[in-house]
Amino acid sequence: MDFTIPFSTAAEAVGAEVIRCKNREQAIAYLLDQLKGSVLCPDFASGKRIGLVEKLLQAGVKPICSDFRMQAASAAAGITGANFGIANTGTIVLESSDEATRLASTLPEQHFILLDPAKIVSDGIAAVPHLRDLHQRDARNYIAYITGPSRTADIERVLTIGVHGPKRLHILLVSGISSDFMEN
Amino acid sequence: MDKNRSQKYKARIDQALATPKLQQALHQFGDAYLLSREKAFIGHDFEALRSQIAEMKDDVREQLDHYLDEFCRNATAAGATIYHAATAEEANDYIASLAVAKGAKLAVKSKSMASEETHLNVALEKAGIQALETDLGEWIIQLAGQRPSHMVMPAIHMFKEEVAELFSKETGRQEPAEIQHLVEVARQQLRQGYLDADIGITGANIAVAETGGIALVTNEGNARLTSTLPKTHVVLVGIDKLVPTLEDAARIVQILPKNATGQLLTSYVTWIRGAVPCGETSKDLHIVLLDNGRRKLAASPDCRDALRCIKCGACANVCPVYQTVGGHVFGHIYIGAIGIILTAFYNGLDQAAELVRACIGCRACVAVCPSKIDLESIILSLREQVGDEEGIGLGKSLVFRKVMRNRKLFHSLIRAASILQKPVSRGERTIRHLPLFFSSLTEWRTLPTVAEKALRDQFDDLAQPLENPRYKVAFYGGCANDFIYPELGVDLVTVMNKLNVLVRYPKEQNCCGVPALYSGDKETAVAMAKQNIDALLKDDPDFVLTTCPTCTMALQRDFVEHLADDPAWAERAKRLAAITVDAAGFIVNQLQGADAFKELPGSEKVTYHDSCHLKRGAGVWREPRALIEAAGDELIEMAHADRCCGFGGSYSFTSHPDISKNILNDKIKDIEKSNADCVAMDCPGCLMQIRGGLEKQNLPTRALHTIELLAQKLRR
Ligand code: SF4
Repeated sequence: MDFTIPFSTAAEAVGAEVIRCKNREQAIAYLLDQLKGSVLCPDFASGKRIGLVEKLLQAGVKPICSDFRMQAASAAAGITGANFGIANTGTIVLESSDEATRLASTLPEQHFILLDPAKIVSDGIAAVPHLRDLHQRDARNYIAYITGPSRTADIERVLTIGVHGPKRLHILLVSGISSDFMEN
Repeated sequence: MDKNRSQKYKARIDQALATPKLQQALHQFGDAYLLSREKAFIGHDFEALRSQIAEMKDDVREQLDHYLDEFCRNATAAGATIYHAATAEEANDYIASLAVAKGAKLAVKSKSMASEETHLNVALEKAGIQALETDLGEWIIQLAGQRPSHMVMPAIHMFKEEVAELFSKETGRQEPAEIQHLVEVARQQLRQGYLDADIGITGANIAVAETGGIALVTNEGNARLTSTLPKTHVVLVGIDKLVPTLEDAARIVQILPKNATGQLLTSYVTWIRGAVPCGETSKDLHIVLLDNGRRKLAASPDCRDALRCIKCGACANVCPVYQTVGGHVFGHIYIGAIGIILTAFYNGLDQAAELVRACIGCRACVAVCPSKIDLESIILSLREQVGDEEGIGLGKSLVFRKVMRNRKLFHSLIRAASILQKPVSRGERTIRHLPLFFSSLTEWRTLPTVAEKALRDQFDDLAQPLENPRYKVAFYGGCANDFIYPELGVDLVTVMNKLNVLVRYPKEQNCCGVPALYSGDKETAVAMAKQNIDALLKDDPDFVLTTCPTCTMALQRDFVEHLADDPAWAERAKRLAAITVDAAGFIVNQLQGADAFKELPGSEKVTYHDSCHLKRGAGVWREPRALIEAAGDELIEMAHADRCCGFGGSYSFTSHPDISKNILNDKIKDIEKSNADCVAMDCPGCLMQIRGGLEKQNLPTRALHTIELLAQKLRR
């Protein structure tokens, strides 16, 4: 089943920016247009597949590919893949035991995510078998469900975006970059 | 009773009541919450979801050690270190010693109610370690030197101006009181903390036995930073957070944000298992499993359902008492209805002794609890315990034991009261002012007088010319019908006769025992249950009718519970419960009789007030509305129709009249705004409260019992 539309609707409803890319080039073009300053680029399968780092370099953007701890605090953005999406809440599931992935998705003000729309399940219950697969593959896990940008309502219950985590969450839907729920 | 403690508690109430801004904020929040919650659950079957949660949580409670073992085995295999803390002190000592051993100077914390429960920050400071709260609300509270007043939104009682002042002190600049700006200040100020901290401390919303991992359900992103940047991660988690499988965890994740804040899902759900990579090495992960009263709670048959709690905070969001006085009064560390119960077990019954009386018993919390906890019943049973331990006060105890149990004495005293009240009632049906120290009781509502002739003394004179009645029913009047509103009993006969139903009034009936029960005197309540069962079943009626939902619940539920273990009475209690039904429900459901009131003359704008025990106890709310509409009146829904009116029996007279008054004023405002000519309801208690409030404010809106409304039409 194609969950692209319900996924996009739900993600946008919580403040994520969903970009439905026709092809890889369009995704790269969007990134280049948006990226300013240094960007954390942890190693991830779908990124490799589209030659992300090389393309950024060619365009004059300086991706950070190592030494994440030192550089994370000052980076303007992070780019990661996604293991899969959850349609009814507009959620990205990101296996981030790899510390670089975690830093790229928590510290910078902007987080860009590449998701193949073929990897979207209907709801949180349908996500569990995949969640279990990840637990069975790895002995240790840090798995993030990410739904929209960071938010708080702690002052006078007024919804405010971007407290400790990313202030902007861009989800780029790109077909054909990954079909494996176990990779991101 | 502890006089000093009570006085301090009363002072806190007074202080909260003198802060209208707080009340306004909590009311607004309550309204917004209900709307977004409703939206969030569209397409979901809340009843089914909460039954699943309840069942799963009960299974964990029953097999706690089995699941704990499984959790610990899996967590240890993944490189975590487990510590079992029996008490708060043990948990604090472990964490503080760990921090000292690591030479830690700074610990960053994400929000953890368990750490509030153990006062971990104090323990850390004592050991020379600075604890920095990073959740925005918690940080505000920490800077203010306060404690949370809500489990999900700790700083809900504070305003942006206060926050700006606190932040200005931190930054040394004058920070403007703009929310977006203040959030940004927090981001900047706390950022360095994560990078500098030696230890990150989090709680956990869920601990999954299947994996040995935990889940954190958060919005801000601070828990992700807290669990990622420092080299050591300490998880402090109550053993009640355990679930068997990932599916169970997913179900909690599904219901928790919807019920907590009306969000479909929080920004982040983070599943952490084991010692994940951290810089060049792996994380040093310690999981402290906290008991601190949880096993004691599991062992209490009357209270153990409270362990199902998933800490969504909803029971506070909808609570009229919470909305009136806030979490610093209505709570200890945990707040709201669940807070009363957890305080009793985690901090001791004496800490909860005042709070158990602060619940007005409206069951609003029971209706929204995602874990299907009957919070009201548990609070009642705790009230009983406090009653047993501390006594319920000599005066009350005498009234209940010596007077109410002796029906004849009780009833003759009430008759005497009808004569004694003459000087203040001046022969009218309501008392507008009481003299001397009783005066505060009539400052905000008039009070009805005791009727000159009780229903029981006039019932036999009522002609009921029915040749071949469809049913013979016994009417259980309860004290209010019998002695205060006998005319309502007469009206019931009029209405029932119209439907060809013969009404009898068994004279040996006595008070339903709820006043005694709510005051913590169960023994009296049981004695009265027996008297009433005898009286009501005597002539083998087809049904027993009630006009008071509190009595209905006593007959339908409480008597059965009181006598379940008494073989001589259990069956008869069940029999009575099976044939007891409230009058409106009886007309609509048993008689299908609403049409009998069609085409009666006169039409008014009528708004309906749902009595707590009728809607959320007996499940009746459509029926009276159907009757009002059938009778040709225009039904206008007021806002918050099912919010408590603040009566609560002795709650409004003796225990918490000031809170009662505030809740009544909310109700009167809603009635006024509806522009109705008349407000109908199905409870003499609500009638006393609402009619009294309307009269005292000289408002023209009439307050009527639905049965009165029908009878008046029939008589026209
Ligand atoms: S008792 Fe129920 S409503 Fe209250 S916090 Fe716990 S789960 Fe939520």
